[in-house]
Amino acid sequence: MDNPSPQNSGEPQLRDHVYDGIQEYDQKLPNWWLFTWYITMVWFVIAWLAYYQFGVGRTDHEAIDQALAAISGESQKASNELTDEKLWSMSLDAKTVEAGKVTFTTFCVACHGADLMSKKTHPEIPTLIGLPLADTEWKYGPNPTQVLGIVRKGSPDLTKGMPPWEPALGIRKSAEVVAYILSHHKQGEATTLAPDSPLLNAGTAAPAPAPITAPNPAPTKP
Amino acid sequence: MSTATNTNATKAIIEYDDKSVRQFMLASIIWGLVGMLVGVLIASQMNFRFMNFDTSFLTFGRLRPLHTNAVIFAFVGNMMFAGIYYSTQRLCKARMASDLLSKIHFWGWQFIIVCAAVTLPLGFTRGQEYAELIWPINIMVALIWVVFAVNFFWTLHKRNEPSLYVALWFYIATIVTIAMLYIVNHLSIPTSFTHSYSIWAGVKGALIQWWYGHNAVAFFLTTPILGIMYYFLPKAVERPVYSYRLSIVHFWSLVFIYIWAGPHHLLNTALPMWLQYLGMFFSLMLWAPSWGGMLNGLLTLRGAWDKLRTDPVVKFFIAAITFYGMSTFEGPLLSIRAVNALSHYSDWTIGHVHSGALGWNGLMAAGLFYWLTPRLYGTKLRSVALANFHFWIALVGILFYVAALWIAGIMQGLMLNAVNPEGTALMYPNFLETVQAIWTPLAFRLVGGTLYFVGMIIMAVNLFLTIRSGKAVNEKREVVLLQRGQKDTMPLKETFINDPIAYMLGGMLLVLGFIFLPAHANLASLVCAGIFAVIAVKKFRQSHHAWSHWYEKLLHNYLPFTVLTFVAVVAGGLIQIIPTVVVSKAQNVEDRVQRPYTPLELAGRDIYVSEGCYNCHSQMIRTMLPDVLRYGDYSRLGESIFDHPFQWGSKRTGPDLARVGARRSASWHFNHMRDPESMSAGSLMPRYPWLFEEKFDQKALPGKIAVLAGMGEPYPPKTSDVIKQEAIEQGIKIVEELKKEGLQTTPDMKIVALTAYLLQLGNYDTPKPKDPEANPAVVPFPLKPGNPDVYRSGVKTAAAP
Repeated sequence: MDNPSPQNSGEPQLRDHVYDGIQEYDQKLPNWWLFTWYITMVWFVIAWLAYYQFGVGRTDHEAIDQALAAISGESQKASNELTDEKLWSMSLDAKTVEAGKVTFTTFCVACHGADLMSKKTHPEIPTLIGLPLADTEWKYGPNPTQVLGIVRKGSPDLTKGMPPWEPALGIRKSAEVVAYILSHHKQGEATTLAPDSPLLNAGTAAPAPAPITAPNPAPTKP
Repeated sequence: MSTATNTNATKAIIEYDDKSVRQFMLASIIWGLVGMLVGVLIASQMNFRFMNFDTSFLTFGRLRPLHTNAVIFAFVGNMMFAGIYYSTQRLCKARMASDLLSKIHFWGWQFIIVCAAVTLPLGFTRGQEYAELIWPINIMVALIWVVFAVNFFWTLHKRNEPSLYVALWFYIATIVTIAMLYIVNHLSIPTSFTHSYSIWAGVKGALIQWWYGHNAVAFFLTTPILGIMYYFLPKAVERPVYSYRLSIVHFWSLVFIYIWAGPHHLLNTALPMWLQYLGMFFSLMLWAPSWGGMLNGLLTLRGAWDKLRTDPVVKFFIAAITFYGMSTFEGPLLSIRAVNALSHYSDWTIGHVHSGALGWNGLMAAGLFYWLTPRLYGTKLRSVALANFHFWIALVGILFYVAALWIAGIMQGLMLNAVNPEGTALMYPNFLETVQAIWTPLAFRLVGGTLYFVGMIIMAVNLFLTIRSGKAVNEKREVVLLQRGQKDTMPLKETFINDPIAYMLGGMLLVLGFIFLPAHANLASLVCAGIFAVIAVKKFRQSHHAWSHWYEKLLHNYLPFTVLTFVAVVAGGLIQIIPTVVVSKAQNVEDRVQRPYTPLELAGRDIYVSEGCYNCHSQMIRTMLPDVLRYGDYSRLGESIFDHPFQWGSKRTGPDLARVGARRSASWHFNHMRDPESMSAGSLMPRYPWLFEEKFDQKALPGKIAVLAGMGEPYPPKTSDVIKQEAIEQGIKIVEELKKEGLQTTPDMKIVALTAYLLQLGNYDTPKPKDPEANPAVVPFPLKPGNPDVYRSGVKTAAAP
């Protein structure tokens, strides 16, 4: 065993080897630096133990699944309250319609046009790829809840039509947009189904003729 | 023995190869100007869309890889070689071993850069960040790197200075590690002379890419520059280095820990949790080792602080080291998962990178060049005042740049993640709103970058005038030639079988046990590790002279030193990557598996990669509520499992595209690619008119599919004709769909293929419920590397029926 040689405290030790004129001191490691390092190591051990040994906290999947379940519950509750009657009455409320217009202008005009008529009034604009919304012909049903269903979940074949907007907008803004669309209509006006309407098909195929008030077709999961 | 040789000491006059140093330095300055000019151009594209000029080779997606590659490999690469060639010869008291190898190294490297500058704007790319160069260039890079390595180690072998100075340790680490990272991450199978598919797909690709990408920063932009600091800073300030033992501790901890930090580029993604945690915690443990380098630099100045006022070289060095400290503090901060949830994909990351690149690398380069030029040309610096002006304009430029991107990144991150108080909807559902909100800070970034670029021009002019006033001189020096037996005498046995190595390896094994063993066994391992550490400390206190002596001896032996360095850098990668790579696909897919691409979709995907879409669009919806609300269900590992290369992305100037297929129609994409503003008013995305005029490469499809099938992806065997026919048939369907909206094109156009690819993004199959026996949890540890995630209670196992 070597005898620990007494270091001259205070005076830093210069090492005797010189490299191309470069000398080196051999100062002690700064304590604050060492302790910072030790703390990060200890933190690793503690956090790892907490998560893997003691199951502290949720996994990412648990956390996100719980948050989504909560949202879907809220949204279900809200949509139960959003009946046809309620949506029609919202369409008469100027403030709601104005809020819906703001959302519509941001997200919907690119495809449906500022006048909500899409190619019907502007056939020369190729980007108007949405359906007209201010006429009386409906592809997915004229009832306010049906329109809301399409806004929330998107069109049944997502690759050809509208994306689901509820995840980004939330149920409230979705309902406001529907109110804005309805403000271009009158409750009880005569409506027709478009010739390519899936409801028309379902209506002829199904024995019981109850398509108009049927719940929206669930969007096909890709 | 040593006394005998001393008496017969032979002396010789040697002339250093300073010509290579001059060449590398000039190349670095020229490429630096080019790379930064491209940087200014692409920064302007973030503010002004017209700066893309509707021209394929000037779009952001193609020029950003040119910028990053030019600055990393051309500017810093050549700067590093200049510094290494200059200092290695002097630290070895020997001329570079082979003038021919030096020449091949220099001209080969410049040829590679020219090839990169031509191919990247043309859209030839591998589609992985800082690993974009196509395979023939990859091979050249590997070969030239080997030439450099041979030249360097041969010089070490011929050295006339028995002991290796700390600068050389860092050079050694650089050379071996970059070789390892570069080769593994670039393994690919060619489908043509300009195109190849990486052999790593999906999560494997992501993990290996960021093992490479993060450590390219570590071992290309950090360790060689630290080596340069250790040589040139004491030279410039004429003071001894602060602490030899700090050099030892921070060198070994830096090279060992850095390698583990790669997964912090993939936090909150589908990456398994244990890898995310290792990435995060090792990043935090990396903070102190990084600061060790900063301290050794800054404290070397003690007693010579006055030089900071008078000498521009010292100014540049000290500011650079300060920025090194700042960005190595910011790095661990950004690696904390909660911080990363905000910062990831945002411009904060870009700002972080630039505080390193502009602050640390750029200012070190400037200091180095101002110090070298007068010495290499036997003259004085033409204008100290201009150099000082360069310093201040560069400093102001960096501060503008970094502060602007803090504001931009944090603001956009907060807006993107903001949900209403009930937590049910996004506050800013319009992605574009968040892009437009950061217009002003991005404009300040452009100003900052431009200032820095102007500083570079001033330096170039100043150095040019300096060079004109002098004449190239090669330094000559008389050295004492070392005899055999004065260096490189350590047998391998002594390298590995000794106390310090035994304690290090034993401790590591126990820590691995703590990480990978099941419950209780891991605790036992932890307790053993603690006891072991106490014993090691005791042993060190008792016999630290023996330990120091062993290390001194190691420094007299370059090969054993290199071997130990390699062991230190290889460990982290092996431990993180092997479990993911050897695991069968089925265990990586969770509950969803990607559908293999149709021929047309594959052609479209190659266009997506070639246009560099990943430079602005991610394909990875994180397990975070705002991401899910904005882009759809969070991404699963299985959904990119067949992707060669993976395209998870690292930056979102545009929205995530992982599930865009179910959200937009063919006609929307068609209109949007022709003129993004027609569908998204105020969009920054360039127009892509050439996709509507050029045909996609049908002929290459059978070969590409054969390569993918050869790598084990489930592409059914088909004849070439069938493949081409399927592509056209699918194209016809899309063309007909478009026709309904009054949009005209033909089925063989690039836009049709790209649309086909975009339309299927987010498609997946649900595999049949797995055999419960196949649950990885029941696989005994010794047979399969452990996956700590299965030990956590509450982690979901096989999907319930």
